[in-house]
Amino acid sequence: MQPILSVSGLKAYYQMRYFGVAREIRAVDDITLHINRDEIYGIAGESSSGKSTLIKTIARAIRPPLNVVGGSIAFDFEAGPRDLYALSEEQLSAIRWRHLSYIMQGSMNVLNPVRRIRHSFVDFAFRHMGLPMPAFLQRVEDHLAHLSLQPGILESFPHELSGGMRQRVTIALATVCRPDFIIADEPTTALDVVVQKNVLGMIRRLQQEMGASVLFVTHDMAVHANLCDRLGIMYAGRLVEEAPTRALFQRPLHPYTAHLIRSLPRIGDDTPRHGLEGRPPSLAAPPPGCRFHPRCPLAMDICKREVPPMEELESGHRVACHAALQGIAP
Amino acid sequence: MWNILRDLLRYNWEFAAGAILLGAVIIVAALSFISPYPPLDVYVAPPDMPPSSEHWLGTNSRGQDVFWQLTVAVRNTLLFGVVVAVISRLISLAVGLFAGYMGGSVDRMLMSVNDTFIVLPIFPILVLFYFVMRDQMSWALLALVAACLGWSYDARLIRSVALSLKTREFTTQSAFCGMNAAEIVTREHLPYVMPIVFTTTMNNMNWSIGLEVTLSVLGFTDVNTPTIGGMIYWANQHAALVSGIWWWIAAPVALVIVVFVSLFLLSLSMNEYIDPRSRLARMGSG
Repeated sequence: MQPILSVSGLKAYYQMRYFGVAREIRAVDDITLHINRDEIYGIAGESSSGKSTLIKTIARAIRPPLNVVGGSIAFDFEAGPRDLYALSEEQLSAIRWRHLSYIMQGSMNVLNPVRRIRHSFVDFAFRHMGLPMPAFLQRVEDHLAHLSLQPGILESFPHELSGGMRQRVTIALATVCRPDFIIADEPTTALDVVVQKNVLGMIRRLQQEMGASVLFVTHDMAVHANLCDRLGIMYAGRLVEEAPTRALFQRPLHPYTAHLIRSLPRIGDDTPRHGLEGRPPSLAAPPPGCRFHPRCPLAMDICKREVPPMEELESGHRVACHAALQGIAP
Repeated sequence: MWNILRDLLRYNWEFAAGAILLGAVIIVAALSFISPYPPLDVYVAPPDMPPSSEHWLGTNSRGQDVFWQLTVAVRNTLLFGVVVAVISRLISLAVGLFAGYMGGSVDRMLMSVNDTFIVLPIFPILVLFYFVMRDQMSWALLALVAACLGWSYDARLIRSVALSLKTREFTTQSAFCGMNAAEIVTREHLPYVMPIVFTTTMNNMNWSIGLEVTLSVLGFTDVNTPTIGGMIYWANQHAALVSGIWWWIAAPVALVIVVFVSLFLLSLSMNEYIDPRSRLARMGSG
């Protein structure tokens, strides 16, 4: 089956000029991935690893100084794969929300604080539904009821709702048009674990009912383990490993992934966790070769010189590491 | 809306006092519609009569009843303030919101115009206008000119708010959903800046009424339209203070002071509306 999203060789840089000096921050550097229909694809990585930049680019929600420098993003909604960045504004507007919706980072703040929730629904979703207003509002109320939200909240202001309710409202807002592809940028980060569990269950249920694909981004590995079908690990603007969730957790091939998973607490295991020395590299001047080599316990000479290619070592398990390619387990 | 008004009346003495004073002034202005004398006619009453039961605020040297003259004058002056405030609010909202949201070259262009207006000396320009236009300088034209000179500070204020709104998530979301700049500015940002607009409306009315009174007292406006400043102008022309007809000057001065104070109190109390926390603190629950 055709993947719904194919990203190939994507490069997105923040390009700035300060007093004549050009500066380039390579937040997304040469990323290739695809996402199938009806699956949840997770992207994990620490802060400033380029996760948010990647999905902003995939949503075409970019503003200067962020520019797409190379590569392509193709979505396949109805009429075969089409390059997202070749679409006109009208075509883009027709796709957005109807096919491609976006739960933004800090998404509790996407509701305008001085307008009632109903107005946010009308402003954001009405134009994409092609329904008359009464039918649209009925549809919104049904959808809210489906997510166990009272229709009465349509008349409230955002500050009158709790954080969890606001989060569910934003998810309702993003799914009311039954989109084919949902991008979710850290939708559970500000919530406590109980509310988080609710929200994750809701995303999972909606995804299964609608047969949609979800691109789910968070730094919380526990959330990924519970929710995602496949998982991609980002480090310093590059995808370093990608595998089905279970395989990735059981047998990580990249040393960075291995450390990430080893750092997770386990019930009954009270051995101390060891952190990695150093810190993530500056994306303005990344180290040559493999970007992980200054912190990598397995670093070899070749790692300092050559960028490791992304190779599929096992079925569906891709990794970009010279050591893994030589069969050295992390 | 009504709840907010009720709370403001109950817990905010500035708002209550301002509303009562302004209400009284508006009633006085409304009385002009039942005035027994046509406002422009002279020698309809015995001149120079002190306040009495027949003529509440006396009569002036031109044979007009000061009270009924005052009702028409304050109506015109208030209307002038409102017209200037509305026109200049429209300009400052359009400039401020668009400059803040669009940014870049649009922002730079609009703000260079804006800054030009900020540094223009307004009073000499209005005097110059009067000398150029002379007989064509009507009340409406003066309002238009004053509005075109009085929007620039508030446009900068609104722009500063719009700049911060531009970076909020709901703006990003609106743009992502396909709303264009005009829709985002009018539907998402405009409600946010309305409280600020209310406050600046009061201040702007104070400013424009003061401007009108100043120009009229000096005779740089159409003095045949009865206004507060126009009344003081005619009183000065007839040397009212020298000849002891103090009520001719005292009445308009007192009333315009009431207008100023009431508008000032209302604009003060609008701060409480803008910041609900201080409203709650005053109600004793915060």
